Amino acid sequence: MAGRPPPGYNFCVPPVLSKVRVKVLLFGRLREVTGLTEEAVDVPADSTLSDVFDQYSARFPQLAGFRASLVASRNQEFATWDSRISADDDIAFLPPVSGG
Amino acid sequence: MSKAAETDWFELIHTPIDISSAIRHVRDDHDGAIVTFDGFARNESRGRRTLYLEYEAYDSMALGKMREIGAQLHQKFAIHRVAILHRLGRIEIGDTSVFIAVSAPHRAAAFDACRFAIDTLKRTVPIWKKEYFEDGAVWADGELPPAPPSSPKAAS
Repeated sequence: MAGRPPPGYNFCVPPVLSKVRVKVLLFGRLREVTGLTEEAVDVPADSTLSDVFDQYSARFPQLAGFRASLVASRNQEFATWDSRISADDDIAFLPPVSGG
Repeated sequence: MSKAAETDWFELIHTPIDISSAIRHVRDDHDGAIVTFDGFARNESRGRRTLYLEYEAYDSMALGKMREIGAQLHQKFAIHRVAILHRLGRIEIGDTSVFIAVSAPHRAAAFDACRFAIDTLKRTVPIWKKEYFEDGAVWADGELPPAPPSSPKAAS
């Protein structure tokens, strides 16, 4: 902490949690409900996949009803909802799969 | 048999699947058997007449999961080569949506591996089917992929 703070530094502002950019992909019924296939979003750096999903259900309330039937993925691998994200992650919320 | 994996074939395809080329791809003089699975679009679903299907995929992940299935087949069964092809987009009734071919020196391994491949694909590969009827369309119910165990470091 030696030296002077940069000019304009305001000690009264609480530290802002840094954000990271991730890519979110939506498929099937989630794509139809949101009208989105993929987008880059900025989320708090310590978010879990569950937090990111909550951010989307706040924007698209119909999404909340799907939560129990979804599985999350992070960087093309299935991941638990409590997994923490990192910058540049590819995150997807996957409806029940029905290939074949 | 790990060398054989280099000649496996995994692909997501937007045009009709060429079944005979998939069979030729896995066929080799070292083998004595090929077992195939041909999944194609049925003309009805729960009593409703189906007009056509549409498939979409999380392409990069789906291909990765198809390759994982191939690797599992080589681990679990005494097989030689694998081809797993899945079609995407609009599929007419009677058209093949998924085709799997497995070659092996002996038939038992080929049968077991082919069955394992399609069963696993239907649970773990992120592909979705929408069924179009005369009076509407629905996303097929599908299966929930197995969730991985909770990561201890993420638990708090």
